[in-house]
Amino acid sequence: MRILLIDDTAQKLGRLKAALVAAGFEVIEESGLVIDLPKRVEALCPDVILIDSESPGRDVLAQVVLVSRDQPRPIVLFTDEQDPGVMRQAIKSGVSAYIVAGIQSERLQPILDVAMARFESDQALRAQLHEREAQLAERKRIELAKGLLMKMKSCNEEEAYTLMRRQAMSRQQKLIQVAEQIIAMQDMLNN
Amino acid sequence: MPRQYQPPRNNALDWVGGSDAPEKSSLNIGFMALTDSASLIVAATQEFAQPYGLRLNLRRQASWTALSERLHSGELDAAQGLYGLIYAMQLGLAGLPAKPMAVLMGLAQNGQSITLSSRLQLAGVTDSEALLQHVRQAGAPLTLAHTFPTGTHAMWLYYWLASLGIHPLRDIDTAVVPPAQMVAHLRAGRIDGFCAGEPWGAQAVQQQQGFTLCTSQQLWPDHPEKVLACTREFVETCPNAARALVMAVLEASRFLDANEENRRAAANLLSADEYLAAPAEDILPRFLGAYTDGNGHAWRDNHRLRFCAEGAVNMPYLSDGMWFLTQFRRWGLLREEPDYGGLTSAVQQTALYAEAASQLGLTVPPAMRSSTLFDGTHWDGSDPAAYARSFALHALTGSRSLASC
Repeated sequence: MRILLIDDTAQKLGRLKAALVAAGFEVIEESGLVIDLPKRVEALCPDVILIDSESPGRDVLAQVVLVSRDQPRPIVLFTDEQDPGVMRQAIKSGVSAYIVAGIQSERLQPILDVAMARFESDQALRAQLHEREAQLAERKRIELAKGLLMKMKSCNEEEAYTLMRRQAMSRQQKLIQVAEQIIAMQDMLNN
Repeated sequence: MPRQYQPPRNNALDWVGGSDAPEKSSLNIGFMALTDSASLIVAATQEFAQPYGLRLNLRRQASWTALSERLHSGELDAAQGLYGLIYAMQLGLAGLPAKPMAVLMGLAQNGQSITLSSRLQLAGVTDSEALLQHVRQAGAPLTLAHTFPTGTHAMWLYYWLASLGIHPLRDIDTAVVPPAQMVAHLRAGRIDGFCAGEPWGAQAVQQQQGFTLCTSQQLWPDHPEKVLACTREFVETCPNAARALVMAVLEASRFLDANEENRRAAANLLSADEYLAAPAEDILPRFLGAYTDGNGHAWRDNHRLRFCAEGAVNMPYLSDGMWFLTQFRRWGLLREEPDYGGLTSAVQQTALYAEAASQLGLTVPPAMRSSTLFDGTHWDGSDPAAYARSFALHALTGSRSLASC
């Protein structure tokens, strides 16, 4: 497992690294809070990102948001901050696990396992949601085009679908492509 | 009890949000570059699955072997299949560990052909009688290709050769070649003929590399051909997605059988590089039932490739599955009598199919059907074990004729 470690503690305590090494983990890089965490993630391709922060501020969470959006990874935040508001904000930003109260070597493995599992299921859900949204958006476009064609050709729903499908197949296209062409044509005629 | 026909819902959210929602919203569907993959290609690109909240991602496979591996691993959720391939996977005869398989529906009937090379044609081998003479006299055995060791085309080829008195396992050599590569192999002289789906037989004629000696519908009018298959695990864990998939493909099948215009447009789509990568003029004529055999004959076929016929094509008949098991037995692929009834009722998903078909207002035929083949034999699945033993030429293990060889 490739671990990227971010030490955001004021005195650079190195306590997390010591615990990881004691538990037998390989840490590919340890750095202080970097300005551009996404860039480091892109360069190092870690499997997991661990952040040790006495009190995660907005600068830390902003970096987490960027990583989650562009190159999602399991992110575990070790902190002394017990404020539920900060915790909620961190989870919302894309942290897979928020660990308060100490770092013990023997607890690291289960913590990382849970974080990875949690991350994977979040990713799957997110992908499915995204896929469903994309499907719905596409379906709406096809419905719109079908309605326009029904008006133009004074035909019923089934006839409109058949016309669109024949056109699409004859041009080796998908139905959505013909739907977009019909909508574009309509826009042009109306303007 | 058949449910009343309901037109596809307009608001996709109704379906997606309801209890019938597919467990997966996006399925990977394997197919081969063949005319009879039309219903899958049309269903996916023309969004027949969209009203059910399902996206179909087409994944073209280079060979039936590659397709079977990806279906086995789960990389493909479902795929176009050969009866002979799916039952071989079920029985562990496909070079992969045995895995419970499922036939969701029939995709097509008819539309395969047996092609012989122009070299044989020039040598006077222009009909089956001449082929028999050639096989009896010639020194080097002919090499005839099919598409998968236990596949449907092997079974058609074996059945037809045996009916002429040619033993397919002793009198000729066979080779396995992916369908889209048949014409190139024929041109290179590596094979003397082949049995495969279209458009490859038509292309051999078009390119004057061979002629059509026999169509599969001449062997068995309205014979079972490709199926839509998946693992049993998929149908058990995603029953709603499987049913929605069947409904979408049924609607695309009905669309393809509705009129010539739909077929003409579909032939254009199929010819695209990402699907068949073959000229539309190789695909269209036989797709419409217009045959020329490259041997002086042209005809309009009454049993052309068909996709729906109001559901008569699509029922996963138990007797269809059984027929392939009888041929496995006949040719020694199965050393012992299989449990014909048990195997087919586990693999053929008749209940799921009936549910899907009746929701679309299609009649659900009985699970057994009867046919008469070109040699006059009758098949209705009533006594498969006796049927498997009824052939003059065979390779039944432990039989007297084999022992006497």
